[in-house]
Amino acid sequence: MSQWLEKVIDVAQGNQDFLAPARQQAVSKLQQAGWPSQRAEQWRFTSLAPLKDRAFTQAKADTVVSAPEITGLDAIDIVFTNGELTTDLAALTLPEGLRIVSFAGANAQQQEDIQTLFGRIKPERHVFGQVNDALSRQGVMIDVADNIEISSVIRLINLSSVDSDNHTRALIKLGNNSKAKVMELGQGEHDSMNTAMAEYSIGDHACLEHYRFAFYTVNAKAVGGSHFKLGEAANLNSTVVGYGSPLSRLDIDIWHAAENAFAKLNAIYLLAEGEMFDLHTCIEHAKPNGTSEENARGIIGDGARAVFNGRIHIHRDAQKTLAEMNNRNLLLSRRAMINTKPELEIYADDVKCAHGATVAEIEGSELFYLLSRGISRQRAMVMLNFGFIRELVNDIPNEAIAQWLLPQLSERFARMEVK
Amino acid sequence: MLSIKNLHASVEDKDIIRGLNLEVKAGEVHAIMGPNGAGKSTLGYVLSGREGYSVSEGEATLNGKDLMEMEIEERAREGMFLAFQYPVEIPGVSNMEFMKESVNAVREQRGQESLTAAEFLKKAKEACKQVQLPLDFLKRGVNEGFSGGEKKRNEIMQMILLEPTLCILDESDSGLDVDALQVVADGVNSQRDGERSFIVVTHYQRLLDYIKPDYVHILAEGKIVKSGDASLALEVEKSGYGFLGKKYEGETA
Repeated sequence: MSQWLEKVIDVAQGNQDFLAPARQQAVSKLQQAGWPSQRAEQWRFTSLAPLKDRAFTQAKADTVVSAPEITGLDAIDIVFTNGELTTDLAALTLPEGLRIVSFAGANAQQQEDIQTLFGRIKPERHVFGQVNDALSRQGVMIDVADNIEISSVIRLINLSSVDSDNHTRALIKLGNNSKAKVMELGQGEHDSMNTAMAEYSIGDHACLEHYRFAFYTVNAKAVGGSHFKLGEAANLNSTVVGYGSPLSRLDIDIWHAAENAFAKLNAIYLLAEGEMFDLHTCIEHAKPNGTSEENARGIIGDGARAVFNGRIHIHRDAQKTLAEMNNRNLLLSRRAMINTKPELEIYADDVKCAHGATVAEIEGSELFYLLSRGISRQRAMVMLNFGFIRELVNDIPNEAIAQWLLPQLSERFARMEVK
Repeated sequence: MLSIKNLHASVEDKDIIRGLNLEVKAGEVHAIMGPNGAGKSTLGYVLSGREGYSVSEGEATLNGKDLMEMEIEERAREGMFLAFQYPVEIPGVSNMEFMKESVNAVREQRGQESLTAAEFLKKAKEACKQVQLPLDFLKRGVNEGFSGGEKKRNEIMQMILLEPTLCILDESDSGLDVDALQVVADGVNSQRDGERSFIVVTHYQRLLDYIKPDYVHILAEGKIVKSGDASLALEVEKSGYGFLGKKYEGETA
């Protein structure tokens, strides 16, 4: 057992709110399973040592930190500071058809709505999902009615500015034929432990543009998850960006629960010296005629380590599925490491499924072309390496977000040395 | 300007250039013609320093400096420009960023100030118009999804912006229709100023109708076997490469 997990269980048993039954179930599972061993497949390449004997701390949100501004972005911000909801939801002016309710402020009907979403989409296998189930007193439900288009980007922001444990939850229900954009952004450098989990129920013919930015660096530890259930002909376009820290992991689960759904997932990780980042994705094709396209690309700096585990599970009924997954990595030094693993499990016979994983060096002909124009070798390497990430940034549907992200990534990359 | 003496070069231990001599003076246009496999493209790669091409004998100097002692990028900064036969696609690096980076690298070498983004944009737009490419080609990835003709025009645009002293055009006519050929040739001709030198490498005489050479050399089996003026190209066009020997019979120019 771990000292940290024991404290988690202790604290959770004091959480007697309307979600207590679900929380208790999670606690029982944690008690049964105990601390994941390093031999557990889920944690084979990612060490939980930085967390195991960490002191569990809950801090008050008295430090003021501001959420990152994105020029030109029309946003509705929901901010959690050091694990506590610090946005006054009542003060928000919301467009018609959009409802945002905090767990603490939910009335009886809303509590019932929350209960029908809580833990229903996130797969049970995630240990830190159970931790979040047990501890997430701070959470919100975002509900978009049917046939509504929300043009603002709803930002769920987790800021961590002290050494604390932060466990927040978001439940998002997108009605039939509706459209919305949601960004989950987590950032911090302090010795905090963060589990921010989000569950999305995307209605029939509904369309979600999603972003998840895991900007936990230096001493911050994080295990987060975004979990999606797609209705009939639903459309998901998700962009994930991860930086690294002693422990940073993200689980993305996409569940094609009805026919004709489409999911696109682009993921970028950019790891500076000594950082680690683990991206586990799982796409469940449970119904026919679904499509999924996944592109994960990473640049791994000196002494940094990335893990990519991409699972595609095509169920027996999911005929005519089209699923593509690709993972490309660039290692900037001989001490950089990637563990990449595509995992395909296919039970339907009439499907198209392709996967690829590469650990690349720079293409010689591209390098020669740049050099032959007088560009220095070092600069050419930077341009080519970064170009490979930029392709995915160019693919971001929201121009303001892409414009905000690009200089950050390029600045981060410029600090990473090619050795 | 360029002086090549008894140059021998090989690729993967296969001798391709076997004792090549060539003197190019400032302002001259030299055409190098030859049958397939003569070593025409190899010459451009060897001079620009491509990895995998090794020089075993002889020398090549640009403005008196030993080319073989220079890195690829140093040769470019010294004023050499190779227009590729098959320009490389680099998605993710914009044409604009690429050209600005290279122009400023060359300017730095010449002791000139770097161009600001606005100054460069102005020059780039002019060059883009000159080679008749739509302006959005500046924003696209380097050669990404360009047609064969667009790639060749993009090469000429780079040449215009980089203002090199020696331009090597490697089969810049291949795969072009007459209109595109005219644009490429006009771009090249606009850069002829009596100082800048050109080596025009081509299989076919056709290009030389548009870019008039001062000298024509026939390259076969790694060396220059015949030199003359523009009339030599016409001769080769009429009779083909058959005069080089039995194995070239029927190969037209």
